[in-house]
Amino acid sequence: MLVAPLDPLAASIFSLITIASMLLSFVMLGSRWLKDYMYAFGIQSWLIALLSALVGYYGHYPELYLIAVLTVLFRGLLLPYLVLRILRRLHVGRELHLVLQPSTSLIVGAICVIFSLVLAFRISTAIGYPEKIVVLALTVMFTMKLVGFLILSIRHEAVSHILGLMLLENGIFLGSQILIPGMPMLIELVVLFDLLVAVACFGVLVRYLLARVGSTSSLELNRLIG
Amino acid sequence: MTLCFIVVLIMPLVAVAGALLIRSPRFAEYLNLIVSIVVFLAAAPLPFMAHAPVYFWHQYLFIDALGGWVALCTSVVYLLASIYAVGYMRLLAKTKHLPGFYALFAGFAWTMLLAAFVNNAGVFWIAIELTTLVSTFLVGFERAAESMEAAWKYIIVVSAGITLALLGTVLLYWGGSLVLGPSYDMTWQVLQDVAQHMNPMVLKLGFLLVLVGYGTKVGLAPMHTWLPDAHSEGPAPVSAMLSGALLNTAMLGIVRFLAVIDAAGIGWLPHTALVVLGIFSVFVGTLFIVRQEGVKRLMAYSSVEHMGILALGFGFGGVLGIAGALYHMLNHSLNKSLMFFGAGNVMRRYGSKEMPAIRRVLHEFPVSGLLWLAGAVAITGAPPFGLFLSEFSILRAGFSGPNLWAAVVMLVLLIIIFIGFLSHFGAMYFGRQPEVAPKGPVISSWCVLPMWLALIPLLVMGLWWAHGLMQVFTGIAYELIGGTL
Amino acid sequence: MLRDVLAQIAQVLAVMLLAPLIQGFILRYEERVQRSQGPTILQPYRDLWKLFHKQLVIPDTASWIFWAAPMVAFTAMLTVPLLIPVLTNYPLPLSNMGDILGGGLILTLGTFFINLAALDSGSAYGGVGSSRQVMLSILVEPTLILVFVGITLMAKSMLPFVVNHLLVANNAVFWSPTHLFLVLAFFILLLVETDKLPIHSSTHIEVYMIEEARILEYSGPLLGLLNWASMMKQFILYVIFCNVLILPWGLSIHGTVLGISGAAIALIIKLFLVGMIMVAVQTSQSRLRFYRYQEPLAASFLLAILAIIANQIR
Repeated sequence: MLVAPLDPLAASIFSLITIASMLLSFVMLGSRWLKDYMYAFGIQSWLIALLSALVGYYGHYPELYLIAVLTVLFRGLLLPYLVLRILRRLHVGRELHLVLQPSTSLIVGAICVIFSLVLAFRISTAIGYPEKIVVLALTVMFTMKLVGFLILSIRHEAVSHILGLMLLENGIFLGSQILIPGMPMLIELVVLFDLLVAVACFGVLVRYLLARVGSTSSLELNRLIG
Repeated sequence: MTLCFIVVLIMPLVAVAGALLIRSPRFAEYLNLIVSIVVFLAAAPLPFMAHAPVYFWHQYLFIDALGGWVALCTSVVYLLASIYAVGYMRLLAKTKHLPGFYALFAGFAWTMLLAAFVNNAGVFWIAIELTTLVSTFLVGFERAAESMEAAWKYIIVVSAGITLALLGTVLLYWGGSLVLGPSYDMTWQVLQDVAQHMNPMVLKLGFLLVLVGYGTKVGLAPMHTWLPDAHSEGPAPVSAMLSGALLNTAMLGIVRFLAVIDAAGIGWLPHTALVVLGIFSVFVGTLFIVRQEGVKRLMAYSSVEHMGILALGFGFGGVLGIAGALYHMLNHSLNKSLMFFGAGNVMRRYGSKEMPAIRRVLHEFPVSGLLWLAGAVAITGAPPFGLFLSEFSILRAGFSGPNLWAAVVMLVLLIIIFIGFLSHFGAMYFGRQPEVAPKGPVISSWCVLPMWLALIPLLVMGLWWAHGLMQVFTGIAYELIGGTL
Repeated sequence: MLRDVLAQIAQVLAVMLLAPLIQGFILRYEERVQRSQGPTILQPYRDLWKLFHKQLVIPDTASWIFWAAPMVAFTAMLTVPLLIPVLTNYPLPLSNMGDILGGGLILTLGTFFINLAALDSGSAYGGVGSSRQVMLSILVEPTLILVFVGITLMAKSMLPFVVNHLLVANNAVFWSPTHLFLVLAFFILLLVETDKLPIHSSTHIEVYMIEEARILEYSGPLLGLLNWASMMKQFILYVIFCNVLILPWGLSIHGTVLGISGAAIALIIKLFLVGMIMVAVQTSQSRLRFYRYQEPLAASFLLAILAIIANQIR
């Protein structure tokens, strides 16, 4: 973990990138148009790749440069491209919110952030490393998880579900870059590839959903009950 | 033993390659069958031979008794399901897709066998994610609207759930990195060694996240919502594999992390959490079994209930609890495969998934109907079948431990399940004649043979708990508890 | 001492006299951006002159509130410049009458009285305008308080002068996420409070009007006072935005005549910049549906909370 001598400029750049990623996850939460959602995810992935490269630079982990480049390629370019292809096939431009309006979901997201902050403070003081960067990393990780689950719960479009899942993974990736940059590279690489395979599967499934069920909205998926 | 290990891991890949390259349905069927027989023969001796863990490939893979046992259960179900699939898939009239089906089937078995042998917590997560991705296409194989709905629900709910497990893994790695330094291999042994030095709050949080995350994959309530749909919509051999093999593999993850937490000795929280989830699963299973209309959904909720019992077994702990739970794994695999095979036969014959449309089964299936009925009696936990012995051990472990209330509740719920489950079967076997005569195809003997092969070991294991098995279980239990009883 | 008192009077006069200039600037350049000629920058002065020379017509059903409201609003707008850094960056004699929260309260007092006056005359349009304005206030006030809390936590003081000094002296705080989020949150609130799109639009179509409905019954000098008060409110809010939050440089440090006049010119330039941003906002958006008013305000609320959270982790 990058605890020891992190100079203030690096700490503030890290915190800026991390908080911008968290802000983008709120953009994902509050947007109506699926394309906005996807662009926010793409920009967030680029920011996380930048963070990865910076962690590699300041912490002297040269393998993180490779991870950063792969993150840009896979999460930043390929994933949005695949999702865009799915969107183009779908004829759905935006999400009609039936459970929770975007503004209310933003307020719920704010409550999630406060909860994550309290949790992160408790964990970091219990561990004995109450540095700001640790609290920040934990807060953002938990917030992106909670916001991802919120998106999965309140939205009904298939593409929203896919992007919500990717947001969950992005949150874990972001937290792990700051907290455990020394994680063996094999794990990180395979997780990246695994994500790619997952999204490919999603693409195929969405195509089948469209063909058989007639729509990708989960409101139509109500045949199996009991 | 190395040879057995290599055979177990390579042969399913051969089946995948063969099915994909030579696009003949018959060839794919038989290749899969032969591969499953070979894998079973290679995997069967593994838990008995692995007295101490054996490491392969830079310590990323290993064989220990627990992994060997889970692999044994998986290979048994793989064999039975492969035999059944030969007969069943021919009835589905999708011969063009069959090579793809068998390739996915063998691939699915491969991912599950891989997960049982993985030494690294992160790679384990990847293996579990792979099982999800492969089995989704198996669940959605029939490409009907209900199948697609089930497949979509499965992949979304389970993927979201195991991201929680990934978060737990990351937190545990972080806790370990505060003790061991930033870069280390997260093997199970290393985690167990470092657990008592880790901060208890991180341990508790990490374990709870892993429990909920992998618990989604196991099908513990309240994370079980994908299970009835996925297990009822796939073809019957796929349902048998999902229920009999995949749930065990996911449970393996929880058990390994439980061993890590036990090595740290942080009190009652992990076991109580597991017990609470187990009781809730049994409860939910009971409720939905009593009021059930679909025959395969009935089996799926029975899976939820049995996974709850498995969680209770590991949660009660102690040699008796762990031994009972491990025995329960194998018995449940055999029994659930039997039940799904019978359900598949009945569904094809009667042309319907609803139990009210299925009547006078003995009239249509004189022999396999009796097998299915015996399986129903077995799965509710009645003697002289194997599940009775394993549930009895788990209850004994519960009565001697701190969670006595859970054992009592489990007992009451088991009685209710017995009544509910068998009332459905009573209606199906001894009810009035159906209005419309069944007009499905005749079921070939390919579909009856695995039922025999499942029932006989179940009967044998219910009458005789072999000494060799007890030795293996005790060994595993000592490894998991770390020598402190 | 005398110099400080004169500086304070100069602040109030600056606000009073320069407010119509900014309004004129924004109106002219809105038109220019859309490629029409546009009125001159000095047009609002001419409008005010015209209004003060027109006849006063008062409805029969009006009470004393009708008279009092424009006075109260105008006076409140004259009081707030005493409290905030307009021309100098050190506190002047009467500046400790109130802090940021006090300034916000006084601004709201003016709005409150105009709401009452709109109801006072008994016309339907007044009621419509008041109810809409109150609904907007319900959405805006909590966020405004949170923004003030954020500013206070960031600077550890409730005085706007301390915030100004902090931001000038400390570059790290200026570019910190706390400050940037607060700027964004306050900008959205600025759009609402100064009657800009996407919430308000200055039309007289009865379905849409909020501000115009409230002052529909007024005429002559009272209408002149009300218009001037709303222009001054806009000016004051822009001054808070610039001098406290985003462009805290360019204020007179010692209070010399040269410093004050330089600060006045700098103020005009800063406000022209903000005016250009407002022109961009006005000409690139359309008005939101009534039931979607909460969306930008929810975003502002979220940004305020994020600013407070970022401050705790700073």
